[in-house]
Amino acid sequence: MNITSRNLQTIVFVLIAVGMIALALGGYLTSLSRIFLNPLIEVQAWVYSRFQVAQDLLRAPQDMARLQQRNAQLEAQVSQLQAQIIELQQQLTETRILSALVDFARANPENRYQAAAVIGRDPSPFLRYVIINRGSDDNIRRGMPVVTQQGLVGRIEAVTANAARVQLITDSASVVNAKIQPSGAQAVLKGQASGDLLLDLIPQGVSIEVGNLVLTSGLGGGYPPNIVIGQIAGIRSQPQELFQSATVQSVVDFNQLEIVLVIVNFRPVNIEPLIPEGNQP
Amino acid sequence: MAILLAFLVFILFLMIQIGILSNLPLLQGYPDLILLAIIAWSLRPEVRTAWQWGVIGGLLMTLVSAMPVGVYLLAYLLVVAMAQLTRRMVWQLPFLTMLVMTILGTFLTDSLSLVVLQLMGRDLSIRFVFGTIFIPSVLYNLILALPIYAFIGELAKWVYPVGPIYES
Repeated sequence: MNITSRNLQTIVFVLIAVGMIALALGGYLTSLSRIFLNPLIEVQAWVYSRFQVAQDLLRAPQDMARLQQRNAQLEAQVSQLQAQIIELQQQLTETRILSALVDFARANPENRYQAAAVIGRDPSPFLRYVIINRGSDDNIRRGMPVVTQQGLVGRIEAVTANAARVQLITDSASVVNAKIQPSGAQAVLKGQASGDLLLDLIPQGVSIEVGNLVLTSGLGGGYPPNIVIGQIAGIRSQPQELFQSATVQSVVDFNQLEIVLVIVNFRPVNIEPLIPEGNQP
Repeated sequence: MAILLAFLVFILFLMIQIGILSNLPLLQGYPDLILLAIIAWSLRPEVRTAWQWGVIGGLLMTLVSAMPVGVYLLAYLLVVAMAQLTRRMVWQLPFLTMLVMTILGTFLTDSLSLVVLQLMGRDLSIRFVFGTIFIPSVLYNLILALPIYAFIGELAKWVYPVGPIYES
């Protein structure tokens, strides 16, 4: 009896369950399940969000350390990339300078050039010399002219095996025989203690203007002719004086000298023995 | 040891001077690190090689610079003499002595250079040199004087360690 009653209960329970499932699958229990499930979902969401907060709180120091480590790694990477950018920019600048120098050398095929990097300046504030990284091992000799793609820089004053000292045309002891274009007048370019260039001994009768080009004349044999020096920036002319003088703006920026060209096939001529003794400096 | 150190220090200072500081002029004044090192070394009471440092510094500068031979050598030896004399007179104020000697040493070096270059025919006006070379060089040297004094002082202590003092 008991067994029969229990079996009946089980059958009824299974039928109810199957019926419920059938009703649920048929969509007839949706509204009913919403009433029950929605509060449960809300509670579940609240519980889960609280759990997340608690978990974050517990994890925070570990994450902080990991983030700091990652930050340090990224910062190191940024520094490395910045250094790489600077290096590449430097290489680009050097390449541009070398490219301009190559163009200059091609435009003046009569000369042979030796490129050299400026590696230092004279420690004395009274003198304007630079030191280059080419010397007698590279066929550099005393007196050779030094130029850039812009124009005249100076000439070699002293040479060692692997380095040379260049006297800039702005040095107060530098003297260059020059000519003014378009008049063709001869003059003497002198360096000044201030670093400026003074064009002296311009004959009074010659017409010169601001902006006229100043080139080497080649007279005296110290420099080859027709190397650009600069432009006339100001004229000083007094009627009672024998000569005019002018200040010259050099085409070369002597503060930014990085790479220069030495004209290695030019041999300066020493004309001192030809000058009468009384006229020698 | 002190002589070898002089070469190392001077070569390092020369490289900094001709490679970096000569590109950063104050008007037209440059610092003279060799001069500062020689003054700082000469002012140390324990040092016994000040003259040697003066000679080495002068020779190295002569080698690098286009200045006529002997100008730097003479100037630096005179600076050593002045520094040693000053040290005996005002030994209790080393920093102040360093600053005073920096001014005097710069003046001496620049004056000697000016006189020699003028004798060689260069057109250098005293007013121009005073305003654009001497004063800026003094300022530059004064800025660098104390760090170099401290650096050279540490080297001097390392080369000439003072032994423990035992009281009787």
